[in-house]
Amino acid sequence: MSARLADDELLITRTFDAPASLVFALWSKPEHMKRWMGPANFTCPEVKIDFRVDGAYRAMITSPAHGKNWFGGVYREIVENKRLVFTFTWDNDGPSAGVETLVTITFEEKGGKTVQTFHQRPFLNVERRDSHVGGWTSAFDKLAAYAAQIAKEHSA
Amino acid sequence: MPDTLSVTLSALADPTRRAILARLAKGEATVNEIARPFDISLPAVSRHLKVMEAAGLISRGREAQWRPCRLETRTLKAVDDWLSRYRRFWTESFDKMDAYLAELKAKEKRK
Repeated sequence: MSARLADDELLITRTFDAPASLVFALWSKPEHMKRWMGPANFTCPEVKIDFRVDGAYRAMITSPAHGKNWFGGVYREIVENKRLVFTFTWDNDGPSAGVETLVTITFEEKGGKTVQTFHQRPFLNVERRDSHVGGWTSAFDKLAAYAAQIAKEHSA
Repeated sequence: MPDTLSVTLSALADPTRRAILARLAKGEATVNEIARPFDISLPAVSRHLKVMEAAGLISRGREAQWRPCRLETRTLKAVDDWLSRYRRFWTESFDKMDAYLAELKAKEKRK
């Protein structure tokens, strides 16, 4: 993974006290994913996974306050215990509806622990993506920063 | 309004439009002022501005003949919020992942 990406996009790095094969299985096996997917106060009662490249997954998280939220996507790359790339899109009609994102996760085992590097960015159609060769991601957080700054100035 | 967020994200997916936004972050500007640093024609800049206006990224003054462009901060804030929601979603999921792994490990030890 290039260091340049660390400045951009949504990037979350976590170290888990478990081997990479187990952390990887938490993403690839429905019975595992049901146990952790979703924010605090949500449960994840439904997960269907067709774990192969071009295979789809679909899952639902639910909470008393927010009800059921379905999401899903397609696996783009699978390197057992090392790397996982898939699309992620919410079904709901909220503000994120229809915005396809691309998630890339790498797993690196060090002394029995696993460093999981997760990133996510909007996934635009191929034509658009190829026309700007990854350029937009570097601007994304900067724009978000502008927005936050300007919003602050306006509310001040 | 169309599906605003995906329209916004698409509109952002262009280096020229991002540069225009960066310019407008410093203050409102006319089409001529916006076009100056770019090696593209005025009509091309106007086309970009149209896309950005449709996406709600900018608004254009009606009061003056030269229709100055300004940033629509609410739209950019929506992009920021969208990213924040995902950050929370995953951070809290990974907290649960951590707890679940500890549980699996404890089970393994009991065997």
